Amino acid sequence: MEWRGGAMEGSGGFVDRRLADYVSLITDSLASQDGSAFAAALAINATNSYAETVSSCLDHTKDPARILKQVDKHAPLGEMLLHHTRAMQCYHQNRYVDAYNSLEKSANAFLQEYRNWESTWAMEALHVIVYALRTVGEMADREMAMNGKAPDKLKGAGSFLMKVFGAIQGKGPKRVGALYVTCQLFKIYFKLGTVHMCRSVIRSIDTSRFFDFEDFPAKDRVTYMYYTGRLEVFNDNVSAADRKLTYALERCDPFKKANIRMILKYLVPVRLALGVLPKESLLTKYNLSEYIDVVRALKRGDVRLLRRALKANENNFFRSGVYLVLEKLESHVYRRLLRKIYNIQKQRDPGRAHQVRMEVILKAMKWLEVDMDMDEVECSMAILIHKALMKGYFSHKSRVVVLSKQDPFPKLAGRQQQ
Amino acid sequence: EENKRRQTRSKRFENCKGGATVVKSFVKGRGGSASNRRASALKIALSCGDGNGQAVEDIDWDSLTIKGTCQEIEKRYLRLTSAPDPATVRPEEVLTKALKMVESTSKNYFYKCEQLKSIRQDLTVQRIRNELTVQVYEVHARAALEAGDLAEYNQCQTQLKTLYSEGISGCCNEFTAYSLLYIIFQNGSNRDLLSSIARLTPEAREDEAVKHSLAVRGAVALGNYIMFFRLYKTAPNLNFYLMDLYVERMRFEALRCMSRSYRPTLPLEVIARTLGFTNGAQADKDVLDECEEWVKAHGGQVVVDSASSERQFDAKASAATLFMPEPEDAVAHGDANLAVNDFLTRS
Repeated sequence: MEWRGGAMEGSGGFVDRRLADYVSLITDSLASQDGSAFAAALAINATNSYAETVSSCLDHTKDPARILKQVDKHAPLGEMLLHHTRAMQCYHQNRYVDAYNSLEKSANAFLQEYRNWESTWAMEALHVIVYALRTVGEMADREMAMNGKAPDKLKGAGSFLMKVFGAIQGKGPKRVGALYVTCQLFKIYFKLGTVHMCRSVIRSIDTSRFFDFEDFPAKDRVTYMYYTGRLEVFNDNVSAADRKLTYALERCDPFKKANIRMILKYLVPVRLALGVLPKESLLTKYNLSEYIDVVRALKRGDVRLLRRALKANENNFFRSGVYLVLEKLESHVYRRLLRKIYNIQKQRDPGRAHQVRMEVILKAMKWLEVDMDMDEVECSMAILIHKALMKGYFSHKSRVVVLSKQDPFPKLAGRQQQ
Repeated sequence: EENKRRQTRSKRFENCKGGATVVKSFVKGRGGSASNRRASALKIALSCGDGNGQAVEDIDWDSLTIKGTCQEIEKRYLRLTSAPDPATVRPEEVLTKALKMVESTSKNYFYKCEQLKSIRQDLTVQRIRNELTVQVYEVHARAALEAGDLAEYNQCQTQLKTLYSEGISGCCNEFTAYSLLYIIFQNGSNRDLLSSIARLTPEAREDEAVKHSLAVRGAVALGNYIMFFRLYKTAPNLNFYLMDLYVERMRFEALRCMSRSYRPTLPLEVIARTLGFTNGAQADKDVLDECEEWVKAHGGQVVVDSASSERQFDAKASAATLFMPEPEDAVAHGDANLAVNDFLTRS
């Protein structure tokens, strides 16, 4: 029988809605090793999935197992299909917990068989199953929560995906699909808040001796760098975060605005910590207005504005994890203020410009309506010098900041945030 | 609803007639300890009813939980290894009195700790989870904080978190504040800290103790020692004891910062005042002595200014010689509380 290629007619595609036709779809794709067709047949919550069709087939079939077992002539997937079609039926009937349970059984049966397949033609199908496990797992958790039970299906999906990862990440051509599975795992762990579990898969990917990172598909590499970049932000490793998020941004599809926004949401604070300020137009274009006042505060040296901006978007910043990076910008704001004072003094009296009196700084603070006393201002200056954001020293006796005559404000870009 | 459940329950026992008689004979018979009897009753209850087995909620747990009868207010703590004898377990009214006794006693922490552990055990065994339970854990946690027993504090804090989340009322803001400080000072992960803060309710954020903890977090994040020690002086409840965990480190960081940024010297009085060596404003001679000793113990150099005869911290010279000394109470296995001689001499 000739296979007519990937584009099926959608849910009404079968001539007389017999389960046998669905099995033919599968067996044809197995025979011709058509990865996309196989994957399309197995997809559950994609737009053209067969879930609805299969569900009604099962409703009208007395003994589905007998029909499904036909596939065993090509590959021992009869048991898998039994569970898989049941999962599709449950999914179509909005019974997500049942759908997930059947899906996991199907995935298990598939994985047993897939392990023995030498070639990687069915990788797309594996990915479809992995994707379904995560998304149906999420829906199942929601259903459990609504019924007052403690959700655990997504967690189960996570464990299963680790098994899948283990099966394909070793030596051999199947490794190319491992990054996709890693990214699905990241999404699960981030959703569950068990982010520390990312460590083992990251270690496996980063320290691979058999595979060059660049050999993975581009889409997966962007997603991977996005998530690992976010982890660096959580841990305050600003330069590592910059490297990874920039990698993701540079390779992201420029038309995928939503994805770019997600990357920028973390990259902007990181770059700010490195002294690189984005244009306000960029922030508006990608709907990141929460950073606008932060950038203005940095430009003006206005501590009050920074504090206000942080307070106004507190919840957002805490949840996304960028708060810690942003609050450390306070030192940068002081630096800017000092620099402005220095520049003004340089214009008036170049010979004595490098000496900045405490009264002047205090006056500037008062003018900015920042409530700080002498001790606090001294402390801020001391921290600036200690962090090498400013070169010079402080004389307590004369109440003067003495700036270095050469390059008192060294360049920030590329410097590791302390 | 409850009546309906009771009816279904009794019907189930009717159905397994054989089972019911077996239960009766087990309970009557002298075979085995109380725990064996209860275990058998549990097994039978689980296997009774339709093939699918009863739901956990339908099992008559009330009949399986013991009710204590002991009337002693004071009771030593003996860890349970088997099901307890009801005669040794105190009922709720007695436990309430026991808690009052512990709160008003003048005996030391070891005594209080043991009594509280014993109260906690009696509560657990009788599955009492209410305001009294919360109070007991709160009292124990506070005592542990004051005594520096962080392990016990952490145990109680964990239990309290669960109890509060079940809706049982208590001083949850006070303990939220402690919990935040604990994460900061025990080098908890940033992720833990961020998610704890993100989960604070708006009402919690307005609480004074919680606000104080959040301010401390901010001060530590920026290295702002002035703010830290001001907050140290105005700490509400027992926040002070938790901040104590970090004082040494903060002081050292501040000293390092000062040694790199002040030139040539800085009056010792300023250090004493800003790094929390004094309670009030001016530092007297005793305080200055204490401060000088501390500075020198960390490799700092102190000179006397010839003109004002004021003691000065020599920032320039100290920059190269500062170090963090080994903690005095360090013991070979790491836990000073377990130092044998010390333990035996404590009353």
